[in-house]
Amino acid sequence: MSEEILRIENLHVEVEGTPILKGVNLTICRGEIHAIMGRNGAGKSTLANVVMGHPAYVITEGSIFYQGQPLEELAVFERARAGMFLSFQYPAVIPGVQVGTFLKKSVTSVRDEPPKGREFRKELTAAMDQLSMDKSFLSRYVNDGFSGGEKKRLEILQMLLLQPNLALLDETDSGLDIDALRIVAKGINQVAVDSACLIITHYQRLLDLVKPHFVHAMIDGTIVQTGGPELALKLEDRGYDWLDVTA
Amino acid sequence: MNYLQMAIPPRSEHLWRYTPWPRIHPGAIDEVPNADHVLFSREGCEAFETTSQPADTFDDIARSFLHAAGGSYHRMVISGESEPIHINARASGHIAVGHLELEVKDSAVVFIHISGEPEWVGLHITGNIHPNAQLSFGFINELDSNTKFLRCEDWVVERDAELEHATLSVGGFRCKSDLRSTLNGTGASIRQSITVNAVGARHDDEHVEIHHLHGHTNSDLVMNSACAGSSHFIGTGLLTIVEGANKSDASQIFRNLLLSEKARAEAIPELEVLADDVSAAHGAASAPVDRDQMHYLMSRGLNPGEAQALIVNGFLLNAFSNLTNKYLIEEMRTRLTVHLECELKR
Repeated sequence: MSEEILRIENLHVEVEGTPILKGVNLTICRGEIHAIMGRNGAGKSTLANVVMGHPAYVITEGSIFYQGQPLEELAVFERARAGMFLSFQYPAVIPGVQVGTFLKKSVTSVRDEPPKGREFRKELTAAMDQLSMDKSFLSRYVNDGFSGGEKKRLEILQMLLLQPNLALLDETDSGLDIDALRIVAKGINQVAVDSACLIITHYQRLLDLVKPHFVHAMIDGTIVQTGGPELALKLEDRGYDWLDVTA
Repeated sequence: MNYLQMAIPPRSEHLWRYTPWPRIHPGAIDEVPNADHVLFSREGCEAFETTSQPADTFDDIARSFLHAAGGSYHRMVISGESEPIHINARASGHIAVGHLELEVKDSAVVFIHISGEPEWVGLHITGNIHPNAQLSFGFINELDSNTKFLRCEDWVVERDAELEHATLSVGGFRCKSDLRSTLNGTGASIRQSITVNAVGARHDDEHVEIHHLHGHTNSDLVMNSACAGSSHFIGTGLLTIVEGANKSDASQIFRNLLLSEKARAEAIPELEVLADDVSAAHGAASAPVDRDQMHYLMSRGLNPGEAQALIVNGFLLNAFSNLTNKYLIEEMRTRLTVHLECELKR
């Protein structure tokens, strides 16, 4: 049996007093790719954010375990250092901070041993080449003036460098053209081989390129149906109304 | 009129509201000290032209006081300089004053780096940028953290000339700057940026005046401050566009980052636009560190202290984003980064 990376039990979450998640259960093991689909406002992004420890979300009931340990005890940066990664739907803009500086600091923080200058540059160059990113990216300010596609590529670049155990990908496919989607999917597939991966998406097109082992449908803060890749095709074809009846 | 004949400016004046004259004067306000010299030296050169004290023609109390206090007088004519000019201004003694006059005849990059530990330092810089000349000017204040500092500057930018003016203010306990520029010919432009790192109980008051006297002139001011501890930053701007200076384009942006509950920041842009066909914009914002920025960096493994330091560093560096000269930008970035790294280690 593969190693359990993430276990969510009966998770209830509020934002500013409004209940968003209402009893989510989910287990993800190493080597597995899970996809969550659902309407806008169903709670998909909330799930990813609460797992990563965003302070706006309050857990009112239930638990999250990462590699068997309760996650509530870990601060956000400790979660990252423990191997968790969230590709943000809307990554923050940080004016004045160059991408190259940010990446070096991030990698240095997460790895047990800080990377040596030359080795890091080599690794960075290889990852950027893989994502067809120009070197000029490194001197730009983090996400400042980036197009939607550039932001998503930068997220995937970070994922490649940080080599997480758990990758949470929140609508990483939105805003990408077909070529960019292929490049990003290649990066996800590379990381997914040796990690646990949770993909939040609205579209089947990413799942054509990154094959999920499990697909979950989320309605109003709970997972109402779980299946294989065929569930994503069914949702793409029929929408979510038929699940309302089931729920 | 000399200093002792002048009336003390009231706090109702825009310029003196937050740092009244008695708070920046070195002692009793009816006294004029006999100041020591601020020593100017140019890296790589021994000679620095000295000049005699000019007549007091000032109608402003700060300039008139600096004139009365004496100190050193230097003049530099800049022409045909291909390399950046680094000027060290070293202040020593109890009270030190320096006067520097710059005459810029073509393209030049000049840095003034002021340091020292006197109780009080005064500096008056005047500059004339000749028609079609370009000056990229960087001023770095790294005075001792117990020093009071009064700085006045007067720039005249002639027809089709350009001034890029950057200030990095990280030194001194109580600082008052009064920086005035006049766009004195069609096509003249100024891009000015001021970055202030205020820690402890530091008080830094930066007043910037830009006067558009002719049409088709451009100005762009960015002022960023980061305030920690119980520090207080004041940024005031006075932008005037005189009647007939049409097609002028002016912008002033003030941003303050508040890093503690006791830190204070004021950002007060002021516009006097008397021409009809101009573009004049201003904006001001004061806020704590953005929670989403912090979360993003922490989600990449940076602890809260590291995340905040990186955000502050970027915020302050971003004040230089309206500049174009690569030497100026690089030098100011380097000085700021070194300062912040040293501060982090303290």
